[in-house]
Amino acid sequence: MSLAEEMSLTDIPDLAEHLLGESAASPLGVLRRQRADILKHEEGAYRELVLAPEPGNVSLAERAALALRGALIEGDAALAAHYRALLASHGDASLSALAECFPAPEGEGRLPVLFRYADMVARTPEACEQADIDRLRGFGLSAQDIVAVTQLVAFIPYQVRLLAGLRQMQQESAA
Amino acid sequence: MSRFTMQEVGWEPRLPPVEMDTATPAQLAALEACPPAQRGSVYFRTLVHDPGSLGERGALFTKVMYAPKGLPRAERELATAVVSIVNGCIYCTSVHARRFVELSKQEAVMRALLEQGIQAEALDARQRAIVDYSAKMTATPQDTTAADLAPLRAAGLTDLEILDLIHAIAMFANANRLMQSLGRSVPPKD
Repeated sequence: MSLAEEMSLTDIPDLAEHLLGESAASPLGVLRRQRADILKHEEGAYRELVLAPEPGNVSLAERAALALRGALIEGDAALAAHYRALLASHGDASLSALAECFPAPEGEGRLPVLFRYADMVARTPEACEQADIDRLRGFGLSAQDIVAVTQLVAFIPYQVRLLAGLRQMQQESAA
Repeated sequence: MSRFTMQEVGWEPRLPPVEMDTATPAQLAALEACPPAQRGSVYFRTLVHDPGSLGERGALFTKVMYAPKGLPRAERELATAVVSIVNGCIYCTSVHARRFVELSKQEAVMRALLEQGIQAEALDARQRAIVDYSAKMTATPQDTTAADLAPLRAAGLTDLEILDLIHAIAMFANANRLMQSLGRSVPPKD
């Protein structure tokens, strides 16, 4: 991926509008700006989690991989395509391939453990136990890393439902 | 007997919460930005391990639940209680069930939802539309179309009210997962 394309992936002003092909001036864009603070913090949370300025022990490539898995689990093709491109921009082909493996690999390696935790938070968070958190700590993840990973994985279902609702409104006004 | 309740439910974190006397300046600043009634809670002190995400996500949560006008606050609480029931988050359900009752004074409606499930009768047409939409958006968002908005429109929801409803539902897809993974609900003793 060229530098220009990589820049464009992280410079999108509003991810939801970008993925929906809407502009700020469209009726839906104007409606959303009646909740301008919500728009701002949706974007802020996305940037803080996926494009984290201080990613700690969970790299930006790993964060893109976790976001991609979340979008694939939710079945949102447009969001998954965005995260696939973002992950590809980090240039780690083996991570790109592993990110799309379902179910997550067995074994006690760092990435398999991280992916299995993420998939559980996405799909069956009720099944989480103390041992799942402790296992992450065993790989040197700090409390901050674990909270960040959990926040990231739990934010993708927000994005998916926001996009689903906005698509319904797009369809409704096109009819 | 349903596992959901309007009684106070506890929440125990699976990570030691940040203590105020050892918090970093960034952590203290992130807590300062949270609603005063909640900033000392064990939940916020757990999330503040990552102050950047707490700051943004906490501000998002506050606006989604409390921004003026648009969807009445009681109906935001109704939606978030239903999302929490569908996701099986006993803690979140109890909190938002109580807030719905405080705001709406309709305890019988919430009691029916908790005890009989989201198909419970006893709801008026507008509540029914909000409950059905919230449940479907939670379980199968990819199966939704403009047709899913029709019952909301028939019940009189405006564009802004629908947008607020979408935000509330999305927020609890997030909140339930955080609560259930980073800690566990501790139901009241019988």
